[in-house]
Amino acid sequence: MIATIARQQIVSLLRQRTFVVLLATLIVMTALAGVLGWSSHHTIVGVYDEAVKLLASRGDPAPPNPFLLEPTLALLSNMAVYIPFIGALLALVLGHLSLVDDETNGIGRLIFSRRISRTHYMIGKIVGAAAVLVAVLLASLAVSTISLAIVNRTMPTGADLGRLAAFYALSWLYLMVFVLIGMVTVLITRRRSLALLSAMGAWLVITFAFPQITSGLRPTQSLNPIVDPVSTSQAFFRFTAKARPYSVVEQYKAASASILRTAGTESTTSILRQVAPLLGLSIVLAVVGIGLVDRHDFSRGSNDE
Amino acid sequence: MGIDVMTETTQSQSPAIELDALCHSYGDTEVLRNIDLRIDHGEIFGFLGHNGAGKTTAVNILTTLIAPTAGTARVCGFDVATERHEVTSRIGYLPADVRMYPHLTARENVEFFAKLSGIAKPSAAVDETFEYLSCSDLADKRVGSFSTGMRQRVGIAQAIVHRPQVLFLDEPTSGLDPVGVRQLRETIIRLNADLGMTVFMNTHLLSEVAKVCTTIGVLDHGELIYKDTIAATTERFPDETSLEDIYVRMERSAP
Repeated sequence: MIATIARQQIVSLLRQRTFVVLLATLIVMTALAGVLGWSSHHTIVGVYDEAVKLLASRGDPAPPNPFLLEPTLALLSNMAVYIPFIGALLALVLGHLSLVDDETNGIGRLIFSRRISRTHYMIGKIVGAAAVLVAVLLASLAVSTISLAIVNRTMPTGADLGRLAAFYALSWLYLMVFVLIGMVTVLITRRRSLALLSAMGAWLVITFAFPQITSGLRPTQSLNPIVDPVSTSQAFFRFTAKARPYSVVEQYKAASASILRTAGTESTTSILRQVAPLLGLSIVLAVVGIGLVDRHDFSRGSNDE
Repeated sequence: MGIDVMTETTQSQSPAIELDALCHSYGDTEVLRNIDLRIDHGEIFGFLGHNGAGKTTAVNILTTLIAPTAGTARVCGFDVATERHEVTSRIGYLPADVRMYPHLTARENVEFFAKLSGIAKPSAAVDETFEYLSCSDLADKRVGSFSTGMRQRVGIAQAIVHRPQVLFLDEPTSGLDPVGVRQLRETIIRLNADLGMTVFMNTHLLSEVAKVCTTIGVLDHGELIYKDTIAATTERFPDETSLEDIYVRMERSAP
């Protein structure tokens, strides 16, 4: 039954225009990340070459090419910004579309007059959405790999590909949070428009408001590469500093930077510690979704909205 | 046509539908009050009542979508609240204003519901059902482009694809043109005659009830005020010329 629900879900989602448009947007943004990386690379190397010529004319030794000090995957650092913005919106719509027809078109009435358990139904929906998200991110991974190969004029190494795959696995986990938010809001609000608005509200809070409270309030945090907050006696800052680990977007960005090595290298344990809140939130939302479906009244039809 | 009604067992000697002191409330609002009703296998039962009388709530309970707040409801001898899987294996359901996944074809939709019903060869069952309903031409078109009448035909296909013993139809003629109404009527009669399906139909269309149903029940403000066969009803009200007149008289004389 879970496979039946998941299969229907995948076919239905892939045929929806809204979803296809968002998918295309994410792919374009992925390609754009490569272009921006190439542009940045080209500019820095150009400036370096000019500087080398100038230094050579003065008889001074040239410093090493700064770009060669950067990790290869740094060219894709913009992806860690696009995923929480465009990717999360895509994931919200994915979660929303997964349940909204069953809820507001009254298809749920037909489904639950069959011999399927509500838990299996919700698990099937989550599995279907998760599989679609995997396909989306695999497409994005392919575009990223091609971008890297073009910019670096060589295929990424196995280690680079491994780290890129790890970044996309992390992104999948991050986006699953938003898929589940999209689903839960449908179950709570029961209305097509209100559900999407509520999900967008959650996205705004998670992506913009919460990071502002937890770290953006500290001006010193804006000064790279200072990561740890300057100690302060103010109680509010102490409180917001404690809340920081729960800001999933902050954790996602930090873990992404570690995986792509655009920031200082961190241990695997440290990265896993950053991933833990994402995993925890996904599990909590999945359990909430299953609980909501279990108690949900699917007897209402399309005329009830 | 090789279509067969499903052969799952029923509880021995049990009626198709049996309600015993059935009650349902939404908060403080009582929607169904102490309904006692028995419908035998093979009947086509017309459930009549004004808007808000509680007809759809009764169908929602019988299709296991909601649980009764008091009393019991049994389908083929199985309790809808405690033996949900046994009940859902034996019923088909066509809600009012049926919708399905608009981006899937009629075949994909019906096959999906066939799989949810756990039947062994869903694809073959779908083909057989479309053929039986003479709507194979719709099979490979996306449901999103369908008219109300076309949706209704596919809706019936999903409701009978697993060969249920009892078919629930909630306002099945809603939104249909006269041709669609006639086709639906003929389909219901054929399903009953060919497959022996018991049909429980909520409707306002009294002219259709007179042509299709063998038995009627009248619900008024959540109470069952009348239940008898069409023939007995006509005999009981010899002064009235139509079922509509009889129904209006019942409604007016209801407490």
